[in-house]
Amino acid sequence: MDLTLLAWGDAGWGDQMALGALVTLAVAICAYALGIVVGAGLAAMKLSGLPPLRWIAQAYTTVIRGIPELLVIYLVFFGGGAALRAIASGMFGYEGYVDLPIFLTGTICIGASAGAYSAEVIRGAVLVVPKGQIEAAIAVGMTRRQRFWRVLVPQVARYALPGLGNIWQFTLKDTSLISVIGLVEIMRQAAIAAGSTKEPFTFYVVAALLYLGLTSLSNRGFLRAESWANRGVRRA
Amino acid sequence: MTQAAPTETAALLAENVHKRFGNFEVLKGISLTARAEDVISIIGASGSGKSTFLRCINFLETPDSGRIVVGGEEIRVRAGRRGLPVVSDQAALGRIRARLGMVFQGFNLWSHMTVLQNVMEGPVTVLREPKGEVRDRAMDLLAKVGIAEKHDAYPVELSGGQQQRVAIARALCMQPQVLLFDEPTSALDPELVGEVLKVMRDLAAEGRTMVVVTHEMGFAREVSSRVMFLADGRVEEESSPAELFGNPRSERCRRFLASVL
Repeated sequence: MDLTLLAWGDAGWGDQMALGALVTLAVAICAYALGIVVGAGLAAMKLSGLPPLRWIAQAYTTVIRGIPELLVIYLVFFGGGAALRAIASGMFGYEGYVDLPIFLTGTICIGASAGAYSAEVIRGAVLVVPKGQIEAAIAVGMTRRQRFWRVLVPQVARYALPGLGNIWQFTLKDTSLISVIGLVEIMRQAAIAAGSTKEPFTFYVVAALLYLGLTSLSNRGFLRAESWANRGVRRA
Repeated sequence: MTQAAPTETAALLAENVHKRFGNFEVLKGISLTARAEDVISIIGASGSGKSTFLRCINFLETPDSGRIVVGGEEIRVRAGRRGLPVVSDQAALGRIRARLGMVFQGFNLWSHMTVLQNVMEGPVTVLREPKGEVRDRAMDLLAKVGIAEKHDAYPVELSGGQQQRVAIARALCMQPQVLLFDEPTSALDPELVGEVLKVMRDLAAEGRTMVVVTHEMGFAREVSSRVMFLADGRVEEESSPAELFGNPRSERCRRFLASVL
């Protein structure tokens, strides 16, 4: 292994790899945030008393969880691109090539999947919140919004955090799939460097270490969040 | 039977409350009038509807029909979607609930909050009172129920009796007009029942208006101003404790008392 390949600046690939790591982290955070919002929405739909909402949510999770994520990315990217080009030529008479913004597309695809998985985690967590916790909030005169933020969310967080921590881990790793549509994150950057230096092993080891660094750091964060959310359940 | 008080002077009025779950009619028209400083005990076999009735008073269950008046403000229900009863005025419902302090059989302290946070939560979040004031009041109430030194503990660290005393302090901190107790000692180990009943006796002695669903016949007999005996969703008998326990008129009440005393 030639470590000078990892030098900072023009001489090596160190700064590019670091930038790739930042892009990976940025996509992962955006996709995860989107996933939590989508997941909470889906969980609410699944728990709602209205059958159509339940069916829609069920169909969504079935489809997204049943298709490989790589395929979801291809479908959205190429399908979305075609749709955009149709709109561009149909409405604006623009005949050039239009592509979807890759960061946004990647974020949406990974977020869509994270949403499908977190929906189940959140739904399960809502179901194990003891009914009395909410009844006490109703009895004291809290509005729906107050009940939601003051009682339900902290209680759901407690039960959902371990599962959501898992989803964060694979969301972070799944961002590597976006390299196929050209987003220069860790994976893509490693491939570029590998191709240009003919040292694939070196760069893929670096990529692995970067992922490992990100996951283990964030894992520690989640453990801390869990012990905070579990206050009042057991003393840490 | 005692003379029904006029609506205006009643702290709590429940009139002709009906409730059915599916095809089962749990409450077949129950009325209750509590004037200030009344302590009304509701007794009866399990399944007689006494807990459901109490839960209808603060709309944890929405009654199918009837009216509830608390401190002059009235809540009506109307038939909503799929025939289920709904309350149209949610804001009024919130106000009424805030005036009724509820103590549950299972305590239901919020497990993610400390004892002090539990007691402060309602006044701060619902009534929007200043934190400092609420804090002082909460600490006084915790001292009153004998648990001030545990104010930083989480509910899980307390015994059942301690949790229930905190739950009573939580209800009191809202400065409610009426306290509702739903079998407050039924989930407690026998040796812990006494400490909770003592707090309740003290509250009755200082003139709190209370409606208590209970299996504690000693409490009902010694503390109540009136006792209601429910059977099959109806008020089978209602009178002073001396009369109801000493000389029950209905056969069902007599048999019930014979089985529990």
